[in-house]
Amino acid sequence: MEPENFQVMFRRLEAEVQKVIVGNSDVIRKVLIAFFAGGHVLLEGVPGLGKTLLVKSLSQALGMSFKRIQFTPDLMPSDIVGTEVLTESNGRREFQFKKGPIFAHVVLADEINRATPKTQSAVLEAMEEKQVTVFGESHLLESPFIVLATQNPIELEGTYPLPEAQLDRFFFKLLVTSPSPAELREILQRTTGAETSEISKVLPDDSGKMIAAMTQLLRQVLIAPPIEDYVVRLVHATQPHSSNGGVAGAPVKQYLRFGSSPRGAQSVILGAKGNALAEGRVHVSYEDVEKVIYPALRHRIILNFQAEAENVNTDQILAEVIKQVRRN
Amino acid sequence: MQVVTENYGAQSPEKLIHRLVAQLGNHALWDALLIFLPPLIVAIYLLVYFFQAAWIGPLGLFLMIVTVAGLVLLAVLFRYRPLVPSVGSAARLVDDHTGAKDRFLTLLTIEPSPNAASLVSRLRMEAAQFQTRIELKRDFPFQIKRSFYWSVFGSMVAALLFHLFLPTVHSILHPLPTHERLRQLAEKMAQRPRLSELARGLQTLATKIEDPKSAAPEKQALIQQMQEKVEEQQKRPEQKDNQDLLGEASSTLQGLEQQSGGGQNQQKDQDKGGGGIQSNLPQEGQGEGKQSQGSGGDSKNDQKAQLSKEMEQGKSAQGAPQDQGKENNQQKSGEGKGTQPDPNKPDRNQNNEATGKTAGTTAESGGRGKPSEEIPRGPPPAERFNPGGDQGKEGIKGARYVTVQLPEELAADAKGESTVTREGRGGQVRPKIPVSNVPLPAHVPDAPTEKQQMPLEYRGVIR
Repeated sequence: MEPENFQVMFRRLEAEVQKVIVGNSDVIRKVLIAFFAGGHVLLEGVPGLGKTLLVKSLSQALGMSFKRIQFTPDLMPSDIVGTEVLTESNGRREFQFKKGPIFAHVVLADEINRATPKTQSAVLEAMEEKQVTVFGESHLLESPFIVLATQNPIELEGTYPLPEAQLDRFFFKLLVTSPSPAELREILQRTTGAETSEISKVLPDDSGKMIAAMTQLLRQVLIAPPIEDYVVRLVHATQPHSSNGGVAGAPVKQYLRFGSSPRGAQSVILGAKGNALAEGRVHVSYEDVEKVIYPALRHRIILNFQAEAENVNTDQILAEVIKQVRRN
Repeated sequence: MQVVTENYGAQSPEKLIHRLVAQLGNHALWDALLIFLPPLIVAIYLLVYFFQAAWIGPLGLFLMIVTVAGLVLLAVLFRYRPLVPSVGSAARLVDDHTGAKDRFLTLLTIEPSPNAASLVSRLRMEAAQFQTRIELKRDFPFQIKRSFYWSVFGSMVAALLFHLFLPTVHSILHPLPTHERLRQLAEKMAQRPRLSELARGLQTLATKIEDPKSAAPEKQALIQQMQEKVEEQQKRPEQKDNQDLLGEASSTLQGLEQQSGGGQNQQKDQDKGGGGIQSNLPQEGQGEGKQSQGSGGDSKNDQKAQLSKEMEQGKSAQGAPQDQGKENNQQKSGEGKGTQPDPNKPDRNQNNEATGKTAGTTAESGGRGKPSEEIPRGPPPAERFNPGGDQGKEGIKGARYVTVQLPEELAADAKGESTVTREGRGGQVRPKIPVSNVPLPAHVPDAPTEKQQMPLEYRGVIR
């Protein structure tokens, strides 16, 4: 695939989703980047901002299968991954695997933090290995596979915050913000009138091949060694107790309990590559890195009690890190 | 994949970056050279100055110039090397200038892999398009940096300070002789009509001081005379404008008088110090005494010049007869190299011995004795007292002590008795070593009380 084709396709997908989602264009772009980079996205925002609609629209634009799982405290792992059921055919009884909703290209894990950790962890293997194991038998998930999970940051009562291990498996964590007055007016016009927008499929019928080619192209994007080194130093600078030559600054030492994992650096590089392709370039620039560093690292650095008490968030820490680490 | 044309005009982006690296390297070299050029010039100037002042010879000049030039070259090298830009930093400069979004950086630093060859060629093509936006000479001109101006300023200040402080340092290292100072003063005074007479007087004084044949008293008298004249002029109201020169002359003459007076006083000290106390304790003020003696005496005379303060007080109490016992001192030392005999006062030779004795006695009495007071009898001072620097028969090498030799002991010594063991008056055993630093004997309750020694100055009276 040519970089131009990638850009055209990417732009068309963006435009198609934006038919129903007003505003949050950056969120849409990042979700698409994560999709082509093969990652999963955690969307965080208050109810009613169109998170579910965004995911649904994306799956329609991609022409992929879409499943939604509403996470509740009584949700069981088997409700997600599927289970063996006893069936009778031709007079013989046998166990047959009945696939759960995880078997789809685009899976919406709505309010993922409402389910118990046991159920949450059932999604872990699916997200990382792209397969599920039921009664000792592994079942491959369809490709491409993306989990788009949502969580509500204000209703924390009766929730089970995602453990760090599970958070680390999300490629990006995106914050869905409230629309501006102009955007809200646009939303009202689109949703309360007689005419409603329909999302058309952008990708051709053999979309699987095209998506694979686009994913392949994304990984070929050129990145200069000094920029790679910059990413390494950025990620390393988030380590508050680095014993191997880290350059942790004062805010990192003061407010962070743990820094980013190597997965964070991988996400930054792949995200930067996706951003470069989306902008029609075949090489990564420093700007690409700085554009994706927030969604790639904000859920991978763990704040300490002091930061919670002083209402310091991870984006502020990352801004300080970017200030401290010089470009080569 | 579209076919990428490899026509990049005059040069490829890689060549452009390498050209820029070379150009910036040249700039860095010039910067480093310019920083160290002013100090080099100043250093060579100073070396030539030293050469012209005959402080260094031609070979020294050559060697020092070569050394300085070598050091500067080393400094330039050390400064230049870190300033040479890398390919990456040059590429980033071009990216910043052209808005190429790190295209040049990526192109110049990436290691091309076979599967990304098409992407690299595409990137090269994109970079070539941005290349037209840049012209190396226009966008990266050579500019003299602020460090050069600081270097010039610092070097000029250093040269200026050198010229400002050179005369001061030179005068400290090589002070002008007194007569030269007087001459300079006289020349200054001669330019002012009201001081012309004084100027002539000072010239005469300078000539006298310079003349080795003229006697010290004569010089002294002339100095005093000039000083009086200067003071007289200072008091006159019409000399208000000349107070600076008069003050300078007064202070110079005072210094001169003290210098010559000090020398004579020291000679007096030597004369009076014919006996009494010898000490190996470190003494202050040796320099003055030597200076007043001209070329400096031998070690014995020097040591005698360093008598204790009590002796000096004794002299002053006597009314400071200036040259008493001078020749006596010469006889005693037997060498008298540094002392200048006073040919104008031959009559004083008559009372040499007597004055010498008086001086010795009064010195020990702390200045309370009178010249008419009866003095201890015995051999002449030269025989009674150990000569300066001699630690005595039982002297302790390197010890800090004061030897007091009484006339009686000296007499006994002359007879061959040891000062070490001898029965004193009343049959008491006297200490074997000089009394001054002997520890007190252990207290014996029933022992007869030791008879206290009679003070020296009262002995003659009581007898």
